[in-house]
Amino acid sequence: MIRNMKKHTIPLLVFVSPALIAFILIMLIPMCITFFYSLTDWNGLNPEYNIVGFQNFIEAVADDYGFRNSIFFTFKYAVVMVVLQNTIALLLALLVNRIKKGKTLLRTALFMPNMISFVIGAFIWSFIFLQVLPTIAKSVYALRFLDQSWLGDSTLAFWSIVIVSLWTGIGYTMIIYLAALQNIPKEIIEQSKIDGANTFKRFIHITLPMIVPAITVCLFITMNGAFKQFDLVYALTNGGPGKSTRVLALDIYLEAFSSNYRYGYANAKAIILFFVVLFLTLVQLKVLKKREIQL
Amino acid sequence: MKKLLLVFTTTLLFFSLLTSCEGGPAGPKQVELKVFIDQPRFRKQYTAYLDRFAEKYKKEKGVEVTYNLEMPDTNAGQLLRTRFASEEGIDIYSCHAMNDLPEYTKAGYAEDLSSQPFVNKLYDNIKPVVTVDGKIRAVPLESLFWGIVYNKKIFNQLNIKPALTVSELKENIAKIKAAGYIPFLLAYKDQWIPQLLLPLTVGGFLNSEYPDFIDNMNKGRGSFADLKEFFTIMDLVNANGNKRPLDIDANLGNVEFASGKYAMYVQGPWMAQGFLEQDENFEFGVAPLPLNDNPETAQINIAVSTCLCVNPKSENKEVALALINYILDENDSSAFYESLKFNPLAKVHKFETYPWVNTAMTYVEQGKGYIDPKIPQPVKDESGAVFQSYYLKDMSQADIINALDKAWKSSLK
Repeated sequence: MIRNMKKHTIPLLVFVSPALIAFILIMLIPMCITFFYSLTDWNGLNPEYNIVGFQNFIEAVADDYGFRNSIFFTFKYAVVMVVLQNTIALLLALLVNRIKKGKTLLRTALFMPNMISFVIGAFIWSFIFLQVLPTIAKSVYALRFLDQSWLGDSTLAFWSIVIVSLWTGIGYTMIIYLAALQNIPKEIIEQSKIDGANTFKRFIHITLPMIVPAITVCLFITMNGAFKQFDLVYALTNGGPGKSTRVLALDIYLEAFSSNYRYGYANAKAIILFFVVLFLTLVQLKVLKKREIQL
Repeated sequence: MKKLLLVFTTTLLFFSLLTSCEGGPAGPKQVELKVFIDQPRFRKQYTAYLDRFAEKYKKEKGVEVTYNLEMPDTNAGQLLRTRFASEEGIDIYSCHAMNDLPEYTKAGYAEDLSSQPFVNKLYDNIKPVVTVDGKIRAVPLESLFWGIVYNKKIFNQLNIKPALTVSELKENIAKIKAAGYIPFLLAYKDQWIPQLLLPLTVGGFLNSEYPDFIDNMNKGRGSFADLKEFFTIMDLVNANGNKRPLDIDANLGNVEFASGKYAMYVQGPWMAQGFLEQDENFEFGVAPLPLNDNPETAQINIAVSTCLCVNPKSENKEVALALINYILDENDSSAFYESLKFNPLAKVHKFETYPWVNTAMTYVEQGKGYIDPKIPQPVKDESGAVFQSYYLKDMSQADIINALDKAWKSSLK
């Protein structure tokens, strides 16, 4: 038995080794180094630094108003994104799944923004927010409400970020839902039709339970993405106006790489972000795994 | 198993081969300088000047100098830190004299240049800018005389002069408004632009009514609340500007200001090129920003943005120092600075300055000029963000004072 296990272990290790080595080199080791530096007051320049223990963590949690605001903002953003992105993507998937003609076209069109990088998308949209919408508002009287300071007002800037994130993110989520919808066996749907279930009931009792695995995946992806959001905010508002749209990742970046150069402190913040995301992911997986149906 | 071992050994050999490829030992007759300059837009000028130095050095000392010139487009500060951290042997590097030099000195990356011949050529009002801990640490390249820029055409047309007190400024504003112009251009989308109000306000007060402000802050017993009229000028500027400043970034700001609709702009003459690109006949001057009714507070800020330092750990220090001195060479320096469009800052510089520099110099010559106050960079960055929030009324004056005090305290750690 033991011999047999050994026989399997070595080829297994050999096969996973390229990925494993890469993972250890570029993920695990830097992670450990990050944790080490989070215990120091290194500024990224001085050859010497002091070990300060958990002081950075204490400061981040107890004394850093900006960091707490970022956490709050990121949570708000994550909740809004998870709800909106999944609802809209699922509705679109249902729509695309239903129509007969132009399915491919619609699917491609909706997926397209996902292929553009976040930064390019942000530039396109900042042009739309700053130039296109005000121009439309000026020429069409009925649309004059579009003339807003989309990126220059703290509340509107949040929604501008949400709009652009949805624009880039929905296509990807929709494709996952679409695949799940197409995997539902036709017989079950027909059966329910014969039994007299209407569209709404069929959605609640057949479709939804059948696509729970896809929901798990999509919730996981959107939430994880929302917590790690960086490039879009960086390019669209750079955390402004003021500090009103500083997501966690941006706050960490600015702490480490602009002006302050408090690498040690920024690393401590990064570790906190890691544990927050880890905790949420574990809870979410546990809750949703229970609801999945295996055929 | 044997095969696996073979694969491992081959990989190991391959990597050791790669690492051993890094250049052989250099002879004494040949030196490669690693130069890091944060101004890619001047690559042509720098390369030409370095080549001329190499030629001269070979003739004089018989040593052939080659360069590894790095001019990063973005994130230069971060790159330079990585170069230092990985000990890549940078010989000469550029940095911001006000923002970065003190920190690089503290970390031991800025050689003491006080005894170098170039020091005697520098103008006396420039020396303190590149001095840290009582020693000259760099050769200055780009120097700035700044405050606000004003549209000369509007000022001539209305027959007004740049104000030196807040009361005069209010009178000017009334006249400008009556003539249908907007008194101030506010371009607050990029945080560094509202940030400019901080060095101007602190600098003006520091050199008139509150000479101990920075000292107190650095000792941890001061507060921005000490500057009684800190918000006076900011409120006046904000109240007399255009709408939606947070939609206007630096580039759009150039377009707007050169359009001739605005009389003044809290901005430095480093934007000159940007204004002139919009309208080559655009005429503007540089004037100080008054802070209250004491004309002493209205002064020109004198700063050095880019300077060159020598790394004390350089292996080719002799050549590096020769190059640093050549920057202010008796014969060649003048043409070099002129080609870069930098201001003259040493006795060897004999070229015509730009008209806007002259307007600033008239104030400096009257003694109305001060060296850019040493405000820690984190405080400057913080101010950019909180001044945006102040404009939007997301933050109160008390919040701003708290935030700036906190940033200053945290920079002392």
